[in-house]
Amino acid sequence: MQTLEINGKKYQIDVEAEMPLLWVLRDDLGLTGTKFGCGIGECGACTVHINGQAARSCSFPVAAAVGTKITTIEGLSHHNKHPVQQAWLEEQVPQCGYCQSGQIMATAALLAKNPKPTAEEVEDNITNLCRCGTYVRVRRGISRSAELMRKQRV
Amino acid sequence: MKKQSFKRRTFIKTSTFAGAGLALGFTFVPLVNSATGGRVSVSGEKGAELGLWIRIAPDGTITLIAPSSEMGQGVNTSLSMILAEELEADWQSIKTETAPVNSDYKNPEQPMQLTGGSTSIKGFWEPLREVGAAAREMLITAAAQKWGVSVGACKAQSGYIIHQKSSRKLGYGELVEAAGKLDVPSDPTLKAPEEYSLVGKPVPRLDLPDKINGTAKFGIDVRLPGMLFATVRQSPVFEGTVLSHDETAAKSIRGVTAVVSIPNGIAVVANNTWRAKKGMEALNPQFQDGLTKGLDCQKVRKQFRKALDNEGKVELDSPKVLDLEYEVPYLAHATLEPMNCTASVTDNFCEVWAPTQNQEMSLDVTKEITGLDEDQIRIHTTLLGGGFGRRIEIDYVTQAVTISKNLGKPVQVTWMREEDMQHDFYRPASMSRFQISLGKNGLPEKWKNQLAAPSILKRYFAPLGWFGFDPTSTEGAKELPYAIPDFDFDFSMVDPGVPVGFWRSVGSSHNAFYIESAIDEASHLAQHNPFEYRRKLLAEKPRYLNVLEKVAQDAKWGRRLQKGHGLGIAIHKSFGSIVGAVIEISSNTSGRLELHNVWISVDCGKVVNPDIVRAQMEGGFIFGLSAAVGEEITLKAGRVEQSNFHDYSVLRMKSTPDISVSIIESGEDIGGVGEPSVPLAAPALANAIFSATGKRCRSLPFNKHGVKFV
Ligand code: FES
Ligand code: FES
Repeated sequence: MQTLEINGKKYQIDVEAEMPLLWVLRDDLGLTGTKFGCGIGECGACTVHINGQAARSCSFPVAAAVGTKITTIEGLSHHNKHPVQQAWLEEQVPQCGYCQSGQIMATAALLAKNPKPTAEEVEDNITNLCRCGTYVRVRRGISRSAELMRKQRV
Repeated sequence: MKKQSFKRRTFIKTSTFAGAGLALGFTFVPLVNSATGGRVSVSGEKGAELGLWIRIAPDGTITLIAPSSEMGQGVNTSLSMILAEELEADWQSIKTETAPVNSDYKNPEQPMQLTGGSTSIKGFWEPLREVGAAAREMLITAAAQKWGVSVGACKAQSGYIIHQKSSRKLGYGELVEAAGKLDVPSDPTLKAPEEYSLVGKPVPRLDLPDKINGTAKFGIDVRLPGMLFATVRQSPVFEGTVLSHDETAAKSIRGVTAVVSIPNGIAVVANNTWRAKKGMEALNPQFQDGLTKGLDCQKVRKQFRKALDNEGKVELDSPKVLDLEYEVPYLAHATLEPMNCTASVTDNFCEVWAPTQNQEMSLDVTKEITGLDEDQIRIHTTLLGGGFGRRIEIDYVTQAVTISKNLGKPVQVTWMREEDMQHDFYRPASMSRFQISLGKNGLPEKWKNQLAAPSILKRYFAPLGWFGFDPTSTEGAKELPYAIPDFDFDFSMVDPGVPVGFWRSVGSSHNAFYIESAIDEASHLAQHNPFEYRRKLLAEKPRYLNVLEKVAQDAKWGRRLQKGHGLGIAIHKSFGSIVGAVIEISSNTSGRLELHNVWISVDCGKVVNPDIVRAQMEGGFIFGLSAAVGEEITLKAGRVEQSNFHDYSVLRMKSTPDISVSIIESGEDIGGVGEPSVPLAAPALANAIFSATGKRCRSLPFNKHGVKFV
């Protein structure tokens, strides 16, 4: 038996230590907002926060997640209130939407530790794949998110 | 045993539907319906299942039963806008559901019920307006009768019918019961475009709130009680068969419950997808034979060359001639949501949840496998995590239904990315030759273009193969907008055996690269400016000229460029829309190329939602750019060599240029927007590379053929 703390809630699970967190979330706990895209840490669709840091859950064994605070897209905010989500709506970023949980989680983690990233820092940190080609809007969404976060702070 | 079934009954005027009060529904009848004398007739069946287009619930909620798959192109929003416009609905009250399989929902532009070819707006613009207008008129009549006033004294506005004189108003929800008893107007009056309040506006998409918080449900997110999770392995050499496997080893993996045969492969079923994957590794299936045994890229190339050599060359009599050979590789769709499907088959009923572009073939194959009747089957279309033409195929549906039938339990099949990469229906590789001679004025006098390519359609319709005819291979090359006196195009169908399919923009995805590169080469040979050159050749084509001039103007074509910078231009019509593009790139001191800006202009006839048009132009161009820069599927010993995103290189944000889009509303026939910007990326970039570096790239992708990008 392991205990995971996800979105502020405790879950008892009994799985292989090496099972990637992604599959525990999706197949055992029904938290399907975190997506599977590649399974090898290349696409970022499975991004969650582990103790506030962005992590690619397809390559993160569940054993290493025990004792941490995990946040998934479902737990990012109530009612789409997180500034990154609001910016995403303002800029109408998603198309199919499949990559967007990951894009949003990666952005939220970046801005939490670096509220004013340079264009280069953004591009080096947000390496998530989007097959629909929303990058132009993701970029705009990130700068708008940073703006909204600054406003919230003052 | 009780037989569950969903019978189709259309043309019933009104009825109550399960516990939700009264509904008003319509079914679109392509032929004149004698009962009503009009194209629209009322139906009031049980909700979405039965050929209804809209439902107006007593609480005023309006549901569009959306006939197209939502795969990111924003179609649920744009179709809802068309309906809401005529209906004078309150936009906040609009919801969408995806349609079931039913011929009423077939796009008039398509041979069957599927979403593809950038045809949703074109196909549904008329019927949805008529449905909306008819409903509006019925609601007005119902209110007028209630109040005892004339119809002309009432108007519809934001979900209410208003009697202007007395300022009385009634909500649509309050009127549905009375409206449902009325006859359907046979010839409802449509709004004049000047009266539009939604169509033409950048209305926010309806599907986005759920796509930013994890609640949007894609095929892979379907969860059913007692559901099992499966993954598959198919013969790496196409259409080979399973030789051996170790079932005992597979079943020793925790959670693995079954091993099931599928066409050309095998599935492992477990209580979790990752365990199914572990089980597959232990099963270690070995395969034998197959259609492409021994095939590699060199052999494919040889087949193309041989076909073109057989065509032979012409004698060109001019001091200025071009003799060119271009080629492109196979490409994967690599939708970010891997292939998957969920099925639940019992003795007398089957439900399928599929992220599919092809409802009709999903139903057909389910019928075939289960032996059930149409009314014992339900196909639910979920959201699609990308389609791009891959999901017009139904291999994943076949597998889910096969496995669920075998086990009698609900099963979700999810492909690992490796499987998805190696069992696609690829964008065909092809080769194209040009012999072009220029006249005294520098413009092309003779244009001979020979294309060698596989056929996509012959898999669907074999006789096309016998006659060497496939419009999807030749589109974009067979006819050119340019005024060229002696034009000749030949197509040689070549079939190396690799499965090929519809890849976003299909034939134009390669032909635009060939044509727009060749015309650029001609302009340089003639020592003309590539923009002015095209302009001369398009002098008789005002729509093209507008697009070309607009994009050149946006890009400030002709300005002095910074050192190392280059501009590339291209123009192409596909799916009824003309798109022009200019890209600005630079080569840095170490010779790496950076992509800076892209300007796109598009004439798609009419525009329903300009922001969605923009998004599709941006996304399509990036999709094309990704392929031009780095995508390539290669073969070795009959198998695809690439397996995941580490070796199939897809463009990331860092390499993506800024893009600005100008929309030209010509008012011409409606064109598509999902695909038409894809074909522009490769030629615009090739032409920019030439302008920046003097190097001409005649094969894709550029980064594998000597060009390095930042
Ligand atoms: S699924 Fe984890 S990075 Fe792609
Ligand atoms: S929105 Fe479709 S993959 Fe990013």
